[in-house]
Amino acid sequence: MKNNNKLLVVSDLTKVFIIGGRFLGVKLVAVNRESFDMEEEKPEIFTIAGESGCGKTTLARMILGIIEPTSGKIFYKGKDITKIQSKEDRLDFMREVQPIFQNPFETFNPLKRVESYLIETAINFGAVKNRSEAFDRIEEVLQLVGLSIKEVEKRYPHELSGGQLQRVSIARALITNPSLLVADEPVSMVDASIKMSVVNLFKDLKEKYGVSVIYITHDLATAYYISDRIAIMYRGNIVELGPVEKVMLNPLHPYTKLLIEAVPEPDPDLKWKEEIKLSAMEAKEFAKLGCKFSERCLEAKERCHEITPEKIFVDDRWVMCHKYK
Amino acid sequence: MNLLKRYILPRLIQYFIVIFIGITIVFLAPRFIPLDPVISVINRITAYGAQYMDPEALEKLTETLKELYGLKGSIFEQYIKFWKRLFRGDFGPSLTIFPTPVISIIKNSLPWTAGLLIIAALLSWSIGNILGGLAGYFSNKKWAKVLSVIAMVIYPIPYYIMALILIILFAYVFPIFPIVGGYSIGINPSFSFIFSLIKHAFLPALALVIVGIGWWFLSMRSLTSTITSEDYVVYAETMGIPKNKVLFQYVMKNSMLPQITNLALQIGGIFSGSLVTEYVFSYPGIGQVLYMAINNGDFNLLMGIVTFSILGIATAALLIDLLYPLFDPRVRYR
Repeated sequence: MKNNNKLLVVSDLTKVFIIGGRFLGVKLVAVNRESFDMEEEKPEIFTIAGESGCGKTTLARMILGIIEPTSGKIFYKGKDITKIQSKEDRLDFMREVQPIFQNPFETFNPLKRVESYLIETAINFGAVKNRSEAFDRIEEVLQLVGLSIKEVEKRYPHELSGGQLQRVSIARALITNPSLLVADEPVSMVDASIKMSVVNLFKDLKEKYGVSVIYITHDLATAYYISDRIAIMYRGNIVELGPVEKVMLNPLHPYTKLLIEAVPEPDPDLKWKEEIKLSAMEAKEFAKLGCKFSERCLEAKERCHEITPEKIFVDDRWVMCHKYK
Repeated sequence: MNLLKRYILPRLIQYFIVIFIGITIVFLAPRFIPLDPVISVINRITAYGAQYMDPEALEKLTETLKELYGLKGSIFEQYIKFWKRLFRGDFGPSLTIFPTPVISIIKNSLPWTAGLLIIAALLSWSIGNILGGLAGYFSNKKWAKVLSVIAMVIYPIPYYIMALILIILFAYVFPIFPIVGGYSIGINPSFSFIFSLIKHAFLPALALVIVGIGWWFLSMRSLTSTITSEDYVVYAETMGIPKNKVLFQYVMKNSMLPQITNLALQIGGIFSGSLVTEYVFSYPGIGQVLYMAINNGDFNLLMGIVTFSILGIATAALLIDLLYPLFDPRVRYR
């Protein structure tokens, strides 16, 4: 794999958690040898979707450098970020890759004023020289997200609404002019009315300012609306990865099909078509041999239970299923 | 003005209600126990030699004692009188140390206890919290694990055992510190008096501080390790905020909030004394006085000490309520 002209390359990334003690603990492979990459020249919104516990947050946190991968590499603009040692290099990396977290009420320290987050980010990353310059920059980014400094000045997190906070969180991420935003379920905790404005904001950022976004969600409707490419994750594996139109309108992997069928239709007369088989043994599924989805898969054959499927390139996308071999 | 009306006033009202109810219970409780303090005094007097007493003199003595104890008249009259005396700071005379007024006994013994316990509480609180906070934040470091093990060993040791070990070590085997008392007799109030004071208080304080640190350390460590995994700490780290700043402004500051309340309540509880400390070290504090009062059925003294204890805890709770908005913006204007 060539790393030239790539914004982000994730290769063979694995994270193993050991739950319950060092010796008797159960191994849980949260992310299992996954790879994908993003182009530097062409900004895109890359969605990682999947049900809770599929490893999407773990993947995001490894990209942000919050948790260390067990094995595998992450290259950002050709640099292996798992090997960053010096403080300056780490700051450089953090300046370009900024996080947005799921719950805005937990993102902000309840004892700190909201504006201090904006000021500290501006000053820590050397985006500005002094406080008055910081305020200019803050006003600028707040306007981008549809807020003004008056609304957040001297306020504590509990004095703002969830939507306002989440927009402050996005504004804060924009202060340093990042090239990549990693947004971990940014709209799952905000009202439906604000959801669209946040989602549109990501679209704007990509189109007007060339910011790439890794958008992590379980909400397929917004994913379809904004993303260019989508990766569907299941139990630590990306089971299908491709352009969003192809994957969503014509899903190939049985799990993707199931996910898309589970999206309710806005018609009260329509019922959910099929019975959905839920997984009863999540932890066990992580350790399962063969295809991890085979227990729930309606089309499972014998080999699905025994052999781990390989990734196959079919119809513009990568699919991890025996069906297409 | 709004703050006063919505925040301070309700708390002040609550404060006075708590004190009122507490003191009323203090008033009622001894009057409902089937023990008559007057009769017990008379019994004592007869036991100490006066085998026969003139019935008239006995009647007079009973009346005087009732007057002294505030037991004259109906229970309602007594109650009114009780409050009147309370405002004058008059709890009547002590029974065991007969003519000495309760208030002066408390005045003599409270400073000893308060001085010792407040200093010990503040020391163990600050040391325990700082170490516990560091150990909770750097929970993967070796020194943090060593500290935790030490705290876990120290914490369950009963206080009196710790005290006895210290006495044996530092007063008997290595006679550096005196075994008993609050200060050496025959020293004028001067520099050497203060020195003697510190020397006498050192061992009891040390025992209190060691055991106290164990408790504060363990509670702070668990608070901190919860907060360290909160989103806002992870977020602060991705913002490029230096680690020591994250530790103090994001982790410690937040985990400190419940600890401030605990400290205030502990200091409020000082007025009932620390019996074991004072007993083991023969320290002249209010715990010993309380013990003596309970042993001898000295109602006036008991009521006096319990009243102070109620005032102490209620005041500590009020103070912490009033100061809390300074630490936690979420409580403001609510």
